[in-house]
Amino acid sequence: MLSSFFFLAETTGDVADAGKAIALALGIGLGALGAGVGIGNIFGSMIQAVARQPELRGELQGIQWLGFALTEAVVFYGLIGGLLAYVLV
Amino acid sequence: MKRLLAVGTMMFLALPAVALAASDTTGEEEKFNPASEWTLHEWVPIHLGPIDMSINKAVVYLLLGTVVSCVIGIVLMRVKVGSDPTRRQALGETIYEVAQVQIAEQGLPTKAIGRWFPYVASLMVFIWVVNMLGFIPLPLSDEKWKIAGVEVPTLAIFAATSTLSVTLALAFMTWMFTHIEGIRANGVLKYLQSWIPDVPKALYPLIIPLEILGQFMRLISLSVRLYANMLAGHMLILTFIGLIFLVTPWIFPFSVLLSSVFYLFEVVIVVSIQAYIFAALSAIYIGSAIEPEH
Repeated sequence: MLSSFFFLAETTGDVADAGKAIALALGIGLGALGAGVGIGNIFGSMIQAVARQPELRGELQGIQWLGFALTEAVVFYGLIGGLLAYVLV
Repeated sequence: MKRLLAVGTMMFLALPAVALAASDTTGEEEKFNPASEWTLHEWVPIHLGPIDMSINKAVVYLLLGTVVSCVIGIVLMRVKVGSDPTRRQALGETIYEVAQVQIAEQGLPTKAIGRWFPYVASLMVFIWVVNMLGFIPLPLSDEKWKIAGVEVPTLAIFAATSTLSVTLALAFMTWMFTHIEGIRANGVLKYLQSWIPDVPKALYPLIIPLEILGQFMRLISLSVRLYANMLAGHMLILTFIGLIFLVTPWIFPFSVLLSSVFYLFEVVIVVSIQAYIFAALSAIYIGSAIEPEH
């Protein structure tokens, strides 16, 4: 039973479906990789900036959230690309 | 703290009701599919020739959102202004200040604020309301269940902004206004010239198609950002709830906890940020068309 699972994994279902699932996962995963780095950068820089000049916090906050949303959207472009591959192709 | 606890308890009770929609199929077993939330059935079919204007779930949510944002505007802004501000006045002033200081004054040039502030502010309020309605379980769904013999639609969460047509229409409006305002303020030739950045003339064949493409990419990025954010949020919540039906019912403490966390994240942060971003980017686009940088 176990050996068949590891060595002779039978392909059940459509192989094309597997390819679509991989496309979806890659789309989200790679998008999230980039956006994770980007969002980390934004908040890291924000912490540094506020630590240096606490009085600018209010002004910086608007820019911070703008940058956050713009960066975060990158994940969703990947998601939409993946979904397109999943649904349309 | 007490209020937070109450909200938490309510969600613990309300969220499984959302998922009940899937389990409440009569007779045969049906596999739970979170994507079924986005199949739009025609409730009131209206067909004008080739144009399909039927009223479906998304349209009802949009109409509801319109009514609620009108009510919010009237209730919060038409206040007798006194020296001792009431809660209503304070809330209204907060919303107005965000729209005025954070959005309009950041993006629009001073001479255009008077004309475009109403558009940008109503965009913010409207998108916020529609996003927020998407996270309140409302009895607007296609599945029915029986309470005391009466067929009632199950509670479900659905955001009109998680359909691409809605966000694309909103983005298209901003996009059209951008170009109309740009042409009106600068004239056709001068406005088109302002698209071309300062580069050596040899690079023009490369840059000009890119800049034209960039104008269309704005349309896509503006609409897809809002659409995909709301879609992904709803998909996450529904998927984690759906684990109850897909894996084992005993997983429910885990799945309800996780989906509650995502729910709070969406309601507290994403809903407001997306409304703010959409309005702010609209203001920036319109502002940069009126006063090109060079």
